[in-house]
Amino acid sequence: MKTYLLILTLLTASLASAQTLISGKVADQKGGPVPGVNIYIKGTYDGTSSDAAGNFSFSTDESGKQLLNVQALGFKPQEISVECIGQPVNLQVSLAESINLLTAVTITAGAMEASDEKKSVVLKPIDIVTTSGAMGDITAALLTLPGTSTVGNDGRLFVRGGDASETVIYIDGMQVGNAFGSTASNVPTRTRFSPNLFKGSFFSTGGYSAEYGQALSSALALNTLDLPLRNQGDVSVMSLGGGYTQTLVGKQNALTASGNYYNLAPYQSLVKQNFDWEKSPSSWDTEISLRQKWGNATEGKSGFLKAYFHTEGSNMAIWQKIPGDNGRGDRVELNNRYSYGNLSFKHLGNKGWFYYGGLAFSHNRDALKLNLDPILQITQLVHSKAVAVKDFSPQFSLKNGLEWYVKSYSEALVDESLKRNYTDQQVNHFIEATYYFSNRLIMVAGLRTGHSSLAKETWVTPRFSVAYKLNNQGQFSFAAGKFKQLPEEKMRIHQTDLKNAAATHYILNYFIVNNNRTFRAESFYKIYDNLVTYKGPATDPQNLAQNGSGFARGIDFFYRDRKTVKNTDFWITYSFVDSKRSYANFDAKVQPSFAPKHNGSVVIKHFVSALKSQVGTSWSWNSGYTYHNPNLPGEMQGKTKAYSDMSISWSYLPRPNIILHAACSNVLGRSNVFGYRYASQPDEAGAFASLPVGQGARRFAFIGLFITLSKDKNANQLNNL
Amino acid sequence: MKKLTLIFALFLTVLNANAQESPYQKAMKKEIAKLIETDSLPVLQQSANAFARICELNPKEWQPYYYHALAYTYQGVNNALTADKKDEALAKAEEIAQKADGVSPNNSEIVALQGFITMAKVSVDPSGRGQSLSGQVMQTFGKALALNDKNPRALILLAQMEYGMAKFFGSGTEKACGSAKQSLAIFAGQDQAALIADLQPTWGRNLAEKMVKGCQ
Repeated sequence: MKTYLLILTLLTASLASAQTLISGKVADQKGGPVPGVNIYIKGTYDGTSSDAAGNFSFSTDESGKQLLNVQALGFKPQEISVECIGQPVNLQVSLAESINLLTAVTITAGAMEASDEKKSVVLKPIDIVTTSGAMGDITAALLTLPGTSTVGNDGRLFVRGGDASETVIYIDGMQVGNAFGSTASNVPTRTRFSPNLFKGSFFSTGGYSAEYGQALSSALALNTLDLPLRNQGDVSVMSLGGGYTQTLVGKQNALTASGNYYNLAPYQSLVKQNFDWEKSPSSWDTEISLRQKWGNATEGKSGFLKAYFHTEGSNMAIWQKIPGDNGRGDRVELNNRYSYGNLSFKHLGNKGWFYYGGLAFSHNRDALKLNLDPILQITQLVHSKAVAVKDFSPQFSLKNGLEWYVKSYSEALVDESLKRNYTDQQVNHFIEATYYFSNRLIMVAGLRTGHSSLAKETWVTPRFSVAYKLNNQGQFSFAAGKFKQLPEEKMRIHQTDLKNAAATHYILNYFIVNNNRTFRAESFYKIYDNLVTYKGPATDPQNLAQNGSGFARGIDFFYRDRKTVKNTDFWITYSFVDSKRSYANFDAKVQPSFAPKHNGSVVIKHFVSALKSQVGTSWSWNSGYTYHNPNLPGEMQGKTKAYSDMSISWSYLPRPNIILHAACSNVLGRSNVFGYRYASQPDEAGAFASLPVGQGARRFAFIGLFITLSKDKNANQLNNL
Repeated sequence: MKKLTLIFALFLTVLNANAQESPYQKAMKKEIAKLIETDSLPVLQQSANAFARICELNPKEWQPYYYHALAYTYQGVNNALTADKKDEALAKAEEIAQKADGVSPNNSEIVALQGFITMAKVSVDPSGRGQSLSGQVMQTFGKALALNDKNPRALILLAQMEYGMAKFFGSGTEKACGSAKQSLAIFAGQDQAALIADLQPTWGRNLAEKMVKGCQ
C-alpha cells in the first residue's frame, strides 16, 4: 500500500512537472497594456513576450516554487514567485516605469546646450564653425542665441543686461581666466580658444547649477574632445595667417599639438580701415593636449585624464582720436602674453560613484603703453576642484564639490616704480541634489557656500530648479537662485575689501523639440544688488561704495527648423531686455550701454549638393545702444540708431579632405555706431565735442583653405567636432 | 554482466547526448533563424527578449549578446519608430554589444556590429550626426576588417558608407562597388550550414546582392 502511494505521488509529481501553464496580462501603472515584455522563469529558457494587448502565455516543465522575471524597456524589472504544480497560473502584473535618462525630462531653464548625442540641445557643436558671421569664434556663434546682446565694440558675451565680466567660462569644468584676447578699448576681441577643441558646450543665461559661482549672469562650460579618431595633420592657410595641427592616437591615449600665426597687416594694407593702426594686430599661439583613458566602462571602473596647455602672444599699436582734438590722438601699444594650463580627470567608480575634478591656472600679462607711459598688468588665477557624485538610485543623486581659488592681480607704472597688487584666496563648497519624481518631473536643489580671504566675507547661495514634461513632448521648467560675484579686479585694486555684488534670478522656460523643429520661449527677472558705485572717471574712481542696484527683465524666443525647407537649416531668435541699474558713476538708474532693448537674429544654412557647398547667411539686429551725452541734462539719454549686420559665408568641399571657406561680414556695408565718446572738457562754446564709436572697417572678409592629411582620405577638419 | 550492461547503457546515453544538440544550441538556432527573417517590430522585440533569456543562462558566450544587440539594432533602423524610440533601441544595442566585446574582445563580428549600430545612429539624424559620427563608423568597419579581412558584413556595410560618400562628392563609386562584390564573393564561398551549426553570423548576403545589382 505504502509503495503504491509513493508511486502515485511520484506520478503526480512528474505529471505536474511536465506542464504548468503560466498566463496573464502586463499593464503599466495606469492600466494600459505593455507589449513586448520579457516574461520568463529565472534560470531557464522557458518564457515568452507579451503581445500588443499585454497578454502572455507559456508553459514550463519546471516544478515547485519558481521565480518569474518580468522585464521591459522603460520599466522597473519585477520578480514574482509562482508555484508550478501543473495547475494553470494566471497573473495580472503591473509594471512601474523606470527613469530613462534618454527620454526623461531635463532642466532647460536658462540652459542652452550644444551636443551631438543629447536631446534637449539647441545647437550641434558643428554649428559653431558653420554659422556665418561667427568667423570661427565661439562667442560670436553664441551671440546668435536668445538672451545675448551683440556689443560690436567689445566682442565678449553680454547676457541679459549683464556686462561681459558677469559671464564665467570653463573648460572641462575648470575656470579660464582672461578667456578673451587683450585689446585696446573699443577694439573688439575674440575668444582665445579654437572651436575645433570642443565636442560640446553648455551655455547658461541664468539660473545655473550650484557648481558654478562668482558669475552674476551667465556660465559657459566648454567640453574638450575625448579621444580623436585617427592620426592626422591639419593644415590651414588663411588670409590672416596659417597653422598646423598634428594628432597622434594610441589605443588608450592621444596627443595633439598645434601652432598658429596670424597677422592682420597684409589684409589691412589692402582693405581700407577706419581704425588708425600703427601696427596691425599679430599673434601666435601653440597648444598641446594629452588624453589618457583607463579601465573599461562595462567592467565598472574607468576614467579619463586630460591635460591641456595653451600659450600665446600678441602685439598691436593703434592711434585713437580724442574728441575735440584734431591730432592723431592717443597712441596705445599693447603687448600680451597669455598661458592657460588645465589638468582634469573623470573617474567612474563602483556602486554608483562618479568622481571628477582638476587643476587649472591662467596667467595674463598686458604690457601697455599709453602714449609714453608703460603700464604692466598681471592677472593670475588658480582653480582646483574635486567633486564626488553618488547615484543612490535611478531617481536620486547627490553631488558634492570643493573648490579652491587663488586670484591675484598687480599693476605697475614701470617708469615711476609704482606698483600695487592683491591676492585673494577663495574656498567654495557646493552640494546639489537631483531627484526624479518620474520621467516627467525632476527637481534639482543646490547650495553654494564661499569665503574670500581678501573680502573677509562668507556667503551662502541657494539654487533651485524644477521641470515638468507634458504629453506632447513639450516641457516647462522654472529656475531660481542667488548668485554672488566680487567686483572686477580694476576696482578691487583700489579698495581690496570690496564685498560681493549679488543677483537673484527667476526664470520660466518652455521648450519643445519635435521632428527636427525646436521652439524655446523663456522669460526672466533678475535683481541686482550691491553693485560698485563711485565718483569721477572709471580710471580714477573716488568714493568707492557698493550702493548700486538694478534689474533686468524680459522674454526671449528661439525657433529652429531643419525640416520645412529641404537641405536648409535656419533659426530665428528674438530677445527683449528691459534693464536699468544704478552703477559705476551714474546717480540714477539708467539703461546700460550694453543692454539694447530689442535683439534679433536669423541664421540660415543651405546645402547645395550639386556644388558640394554649404552657403550660409546670418543677420543680427538690435534697437540701438544707449550712451551718455554730457551736453544734455540727465544721464544715459542718448540712443544710437539700430544696429544691423548681415554676413554671408560659403564652404566648398571639392574633396573630402579639403574645405575652402570664404566669408564676409556686414555685406550691406552699414556704418554701425555703438555709442559716442565725449571730450572731458567743454570747448569755448560750452559744448562737449564727440566722436562716434564705430567699426574697425566697413566689412570684414575672410578666406581660408583647410586641408587634412591622413591615411583615411575622407577625414576633414570638421570631423573633429 | 548486469553491471556491464548498465555501464554500456550509460555510455550510450552519454554518446547520444553528445550527438544531440544542447538546449542552448537548440534555442539559439531557433531564435537566430527567427531574427534574421523578420522585419516586424513585435517579432524583433520577442527575439530580443528570447536572446536576453539565453544571455542570462550563458554569460560566457558571445553569440547570445551579439544577437541580442542585433535584435535591438534592427529595431533602431525600423522607420515605423520615432527618432526617440530608435535612439532608445540603439542605446540598448550599444550597451549589449559592449558586453559581447567584454566576453570576446577583438572579435571582428562584434566590432562590425558596433560599426553597424553607430551607422544606425547616424541615420536617425544624418545632418546633425553625420559630421561627427561618420568618421567613427568608417574607422570601426576598418578595425573589423583589420581583425578579419574576410568579414563579409564589415565589407558590405563599409561599401554602403563608401557609396554614400562617393555619391556626395561626385567621385567614382568603383571602390564601393568593388567592396560590395568582394563581400558577395565571400558570402558565396561560405559553408552556410557549417556557420549556422556553429552559431556564427550569416546575415547580410541580401544587402550585398542588392548593392551589387545596383552597381551594374
